[in-house]
Amino acid sequence: MQPKPLILKILDVVSIIVLAVAAYLALVFAPTEAVMGQVQRVFYFHIGTAWVGLLGFVIAAVAGILYLVTKDVRWDRFEVAAVEVSTVFFFITIVLGSIWARPAWNTWWTWDPRLTTAAITELIYIDYFMLRQGIEDPEKRARFGAVYTLLGGISAPITFMVIRLFRTIHPVVIGSQSAAAQGGFSMTSDMKVAFFFGLFAFTVIFIDLMWHRIRLGNLEDKVEQLKLKVSM
Amino acid sequence: MMDKKTATIDSRPETMNRPSSIVHRPSFVKATLAIVQKDLSAEFRSFELISAMLVFSLLVIIIFNFALELDVKVRQSVTSGVLWATFAFAGTLGLNRSMSVEKDRGCMDGLLLAPVDRSVIYFGKAISNLIFMLIVEAIVLPVYSLLYNVNLFRLDLLGVILLGSIGYAAVGTLLSTMSAQTRTREVLLPILLFPVAMPVLLASVKASGGLLAGVELSEVLMPINLLIVYDVIFIAIAFMVFDFVVEE
Amino acid sequence: MFLQAIPDTSNYMIAGYVFAFVVMGIYVFSIYLRNANLKRDSEMLESLEEEQSKKAKKK
Repeated sequence: MQPKPLILKILDVVSIIVLAVAAYLALVFAPTEAVMGQVQRVFYFHIGTAWVGLLGFVIAAVAGILYLVTKDVRWDRFEVAAVEVSTVFFFITIVLGSIWARPAWNTWWTWDPRLTTAAITELIYIDYFMLRQGIEDPEKRARFGAVYTLLGGISAPITFMVIRLFRTIHPVVIGSQSAAAQGGFSMTSDMKVAFFFGLFAFTVIFIDLMWHRIRLGNLEDKVEQLKLKVSM
Repeated sequence: MMDKKTATIDSRPETMNRPSSIVHRPSFVKATLAIVQKDLSAEFRSFELISAMLVFSLLVIIIFNFALELDVKVRQSVTSGVLWATFAFAGTLGLNRSMSVEKDRGCMDGLLLAPVDRSVIYFGKAISNLIFMLIVEAIVLPVYSLLYNVNLFRLDLLGVILLGSIGYAAVGTLLSTMSAQTRTREVLLPILLFPVAMPVLLASVKASGGLLAGVELSEVLMPINLLIVYDVIFIAIAFMVFDFVVEE
Repeated sequence: MFLQAIPDTSNYMIAGYVFAFVVMGIYVFSIYLRNANLKRDSEMLESLEEEQSKKAKKK
């Protein structure tokens, strides 16, 4: 295991700082939303985690393709790290959304396209780890994992399009005037500051966590190889 | 990648000393049909798989009957859902069986040794899985029509069922090849398959539900289009990645 | 003109943020824990390997 590089140490500190600032902006700086009240503040972290969650799944699918093409283990570790960190963040997204939905829609859960797709996507990536756990040969594990992230990454958007044919009440906050959808609201400029800083903060945290997870993957591989060596 | 493959195929006759008449490479379609024929003739000798899928489907319908209290009113709105749930469950049963048979009897190794492109194996297995599904559906549909007095034999509805089954068999064959090589095997397939095949199932439910409710074909065009898109994309992907799933 | 009172939903907000921080904390801790375990394993295995190579040399 290489010693922790300096950039990573700096990134750790920066992550903690931006997380604190993002929390401050979301909790104190941004004005209270008039219709829903305080709970609307959950939205800043909801979007931030959703963004990095989706980003990670896209990265994982790309890393999967690169692994299949190059057969380089590093892409496999990259993919695992992306999926794992994203699964955690996406879980936070779903629960935060649910907490927001309770006062806004008066229900913890609705079968709306975004919610349902989010739940199915999260399940796909939990399945990903179950699949990997069931395979002993590391090379095969990497191959199957790459194929599955690819399948998941392609089926998720189609799932979304299909469910949208059924119904939706999820508000579209950016890039649409359909604030008429229940729970929609328009952002003031202070809200936008908190919103965009949240996106930035979670991107930094995501990179930091992924880096740590990749290093963990390297260590895992090293231990696995040592075990083989010693048992021989 | 292509070069490597042809190289191994070409070098085989020398190492194995086979008569050259066996070694010639059959055409893609011929080889695929040979695999389909092998599966079908094995199945028609015993009817193990089809009878299991069939009995299972009928049991699922019976369970739904009581679970949902399928009286006349409810029935109309849930028929397509019940049918697709049945097909999906029976489908996993068949997919699991057809792959674990290959694995257990070592047939898969034999297939992999055959001097054909790997994707031939994929298409062969996918087509025979599709045929098994269609046979089961062909029996379940009239039985369902009879039991609940709804007419399910309409060309548009059958078209949707065919499209849905194609998508389901396409992904299912790929994933069952993967799950057959894991420790948990049969348990893993539905878990892997259902979330990925969700678009097929939901679009099929939506399209056939609309058709059964008697709406115009143009109103269910969207789910049908998505079904076609899904089918095309996933057949193409499975075709591309199948190599990675059977590599030893 | 009537003013609508802002509903008091702070409890939900607090629950949401506590949840988010707890989950992130658990995840970071899990990385730390796995890292520590693996480090211990690798040290142990390395010393084992050394012993083995010493034995091999004696023979």
